[in-house]
Amino acid sequence: MKLSVKLFAGFLLISLLFTAVVIVNFQLSEDVIDNTVWVSRSQIVVRNSASLQRNIIDMETGMRGFLLNGNDTFLQPYFQAKDQLPNLLQETKSFVAGSPEQTRKINDIVRLQGRLQYTYAEPLIALKRSDTTQIADLKVITELDSLVLGEKILMDSIRTAFRDFNAYEYKVREERRERLGKSINTTRQVSTILTILSVIMGLGWAYYITRLITGRIIKMVTLAEEISRGDYKTKIIDTSRDELSQLSNSLNRMSATIDETFTELDRKNTELDQFAYVVSHDLKAPLRGIEVASRWVEEDMGTQLPPNVQEYLMMMRIRVHRMENLINGILALARIGRTNQIEEEVDVNILLSEIVDLLSPPEGFRIEVQDDLPILHTIRIQLQQVFSNLISNAIKYHDKRTGLIKVAYHETDSFHVFSVSDDGPGIDPEYHDRIFVIFQTLQERDAVESTGVGLTIVKKIVEWQGGTIWVSSQPGQGATFTFTWPKDTEDVG
Amino acid sequence: MSDKAVNILLVEDDYLDIMNVERELSKINLTHPLHVARNGREALNMLRGTEGAQKISPAPSVILLDINMPKMNGLEFLAELRREPEFNHLPVFIMTTSNEETDRMAAQRLNVTGYIVKPLSFDNFERSHSSLDSFSLFLDLIKLK
Repeated sequence: MKLSVKLFAGFLLISLLFTAVVIVNFQLSEDVIDNTVWVSRSQIVVRNSASLQRNIIDMETGMRGFLLNGNDTFLQPYFQAKDQLPNLLQETKSFVAGSPEQTRKINDIVRLQGRLQYTYAEPLIALKRSDTTQIADLKVITELDSLVLGEKILMDSIRTAFRDFNAYEYKVREERRERLGKSINTTRQVSTILTILSVIMGLGWAYYITRLITGRIIKMVTLAEEISRGDYKTKIIDTSRDELSQLSNSLNRMSATIDETFTELDRKNTELDQFAYVVSHDLKAPLRGIEVASRWVEEDMGTQLPPNVQEYLMMMRIRVHRMENLINGILALARIGRTNQIEEEVDVNILLSEIVDLLSPPEGFRIEVQDDLPILHTIRIQLQQVFSNLISNAIKYHDKRTGLIKVAYHETDSFHVFSVSDDGPGIDPEYHDRIFVIFQTLQERDAVESTGVGLTIVKKIVEWQGGTIWVSSQPGQGATFTFTWPKDTEDVG
Repeated sequence: MSDKAVNILLVEDDYLDIMNVERELSKINLTHPLHVARNGREALNMLRGTEGAQKISPAPSVILLDINMPKMNGLEFLAELRREPEFNHLPVFIMTTSNEETDRMAAQRLNVTGYIVKPLSFDNFERSHSSLDSFSLFLDLIKLK
């Protein structure tokens, strides 16, 4: 699965969970609203039933008052209530229309009220009106008594009916409240669980994705580290097929290419070693033969040889030596940086006095070396080759019998800077590049015995070390060769 | 010096080098018989007296050995020689143009007495200290016999 798909799936899952939480909560709020509507309706019902009851009681009270003294003013509440009742009943009925139980109950109440009104209240009132005598007629009294008794019984049952009605309403309300409470609890639990779940899932997913990516990146970093340490055979094993796999594949291809290239380079180096070996042996052998044979001629003929033949022989041997020096020069050039040379502490002060001793400058030449030269951690033989080539060149190509050669030093942030200057003939700026090219000399071979390899070796060593070399000179004003030698962390001075 | 014949075996393929050794030896008045083999195989045959070659008797006191030769080179010859009990004690001097460390190491492992840089000469322009030491050791060995 692709990484982006995994990421997307994770977000989708978490979003779905949160959506579920929202839906559950939304439903709960719907329930609450429903319930609120229902409760307010129920409150109206209870209020209505109370006012119904009050009206009925008003009717009874009015009627009874009238029965007591026959005064019509007592009947006023009776008629008032009688007027209001139908409306109230109708209203209450419409409110309980949803509940068959309550509808039946309200119908009972209507029936009972009807009976109260028509069977008892109206006849009683009529009876009272007809009894204008104010004298108790036994027959009337008996009828009155039975009617009042009946009315009382009926009234009691109306009261009971109202109690039932209200009790039922309260019961239903209680049930609904409980149900709402329950659904609130459920919703709370569900949304809590879902929230926790989505948080855990989110964290888990994030951890998984992070681990996935980090693990892979660490693998690649390891690969890069191994390559930088020189292990080019290393490979990432990556079985998942996603965006990072492409990167892994590219890295693998890169390391494979590097490996191939380095194998090729190793092969080339081996070939070069063999070539150098062949050059040093097979090219030198015939030279040696010529040298030996010419020596024999000299030894055997000795003084019998005419001077011109002796000179020819000498010329021959000088050129043989020159050829040998050239071969050695090429070999030395080829060997720079290829044989493992050990870095060591090199006190440049001591190194330079050794070099001056070794070169043993001719009479009239003075070599001034600056004091307080540094101690370097580097390959001694290379630094020695550089200095001895530069100083011996300064002596070799000097045009006067006396000369002064100065070695100076200063340091910059990342380099040691050495310079070798002389007061010789100087070099025309036109040739400043040419002198570093192999086999290029500025003087005829026979004037000064030189191979044209020395400065090339010097340049190669300095550049192999990471430094640079340049010359500043004008004809007749001497020459200054300056080279830089990188500092490294292990430097002592 | 005893009356007993002291044989020197030179294993060398270059005629000029053979002449050089002969000249240098005669210059210092060494007249011991010099047996010349042109390659390692021929030298082995001469030591053993096999394949129609005449056996050198007594066995040579010193062997001068070139490295680069046809058929069997100096190092192969040396390895063969060191396997035979009759000859494994013989002093061997390697003669070579090469001053390479790797060659010296290879010869050192095969237990050689000395290492002489060609051409064999006292006024050798190329000689090193070790080469000179080897050469005088070679002369001493011959004179002791």
